[in-house]
Amino acid sequence: MSADHLFAALASPARRELLRMLRDEGAQPAGRLAERFDMSRPSVSEHLKVLKDAGLVAETRKGRERHYRLEAAPLMELRDWLTPYERFWRERLTALDALLDDMEDQDAR
Amino acid sequence: MPAEDRTAIRLDQFLAHPPSKVWRALTEPELMAKWLMPNDFKPEVGHRFTFTTQPKKAVGFDGIVHCEVLEIEPEKLLRISWSDGKQADWTVTWRLEPEGRGTRLFLDHEGFDPDDEVQQLSRRIMGGGWPRHFRTIDFLAATL
Repeated sequence: MSADHLFAALASPARRELLRMLRDEGAQPAGRLAERFDMSRPSVSEHLKVLKDAGLVAETRKGRERHYRLEAAPLMELRDWLTPYERFWRERLTALDALLDDMEDQDAR
Repeated sequence: MPAEDRTAIRLDQFLAHPPSKVWRALTEPELMAKWLMPNDFKPEVGHRFTFTTQPKKAVGFDGIVHCEVLEIEPEKLLRISWSDGKQADWTVTWRLEPEGRGTRLFLDHEGFDPDDEVQQLSRRIMGGGWPRHFRTIDFLAATL
């Protein structure tokens, strides 16, 4: 997934609203998502396809319906990028954990 | 993404080691250097010290973090000020709580300005007004 696709996908208010619905309400069929938009069903499907191509949603078929769910990974990457200090501290805490294990080895000698 | 406190980073981690040992790693300069950064820390309130790391020219960071010890409670709490020389001052607080045979370490990095450009960026992405900033973001993302 390229950054271009991710940012382009997030640039649309309608697509952000779709993501918000999937985040707040969990996976659901395309039809239920579409009926809440003041636009044609094919237009909503097109938005869902853009989100899918960006890796932001995953699609599964159940009978005749397509179900969509939120994929968290790209948003997590975005969050790491927006909050570099959070990533810094997570990495440092991991290093601390490893150091403590090493200290134990030294104590045991 | 739930509503978050935009002025702080709050993390916690379980460490399978007793608080006394975690405390050593948090307050002995040689040990701190191994997991955090080289420093001239002393466990005394009012002591001013620095952490040194690689400069990051792109963001105007000279590689030196200026700190002061604000509060110490052995094996329970360490609070220091934290400034990279350009931005407003932050406070970093570690709290240790025994948990089973180990320690739950809480880290609070407080004092972020909600009007900081990165925070504004975050709001724009989730709130709107994105296209105007698209080029800048795209360029920045390409350099990751």
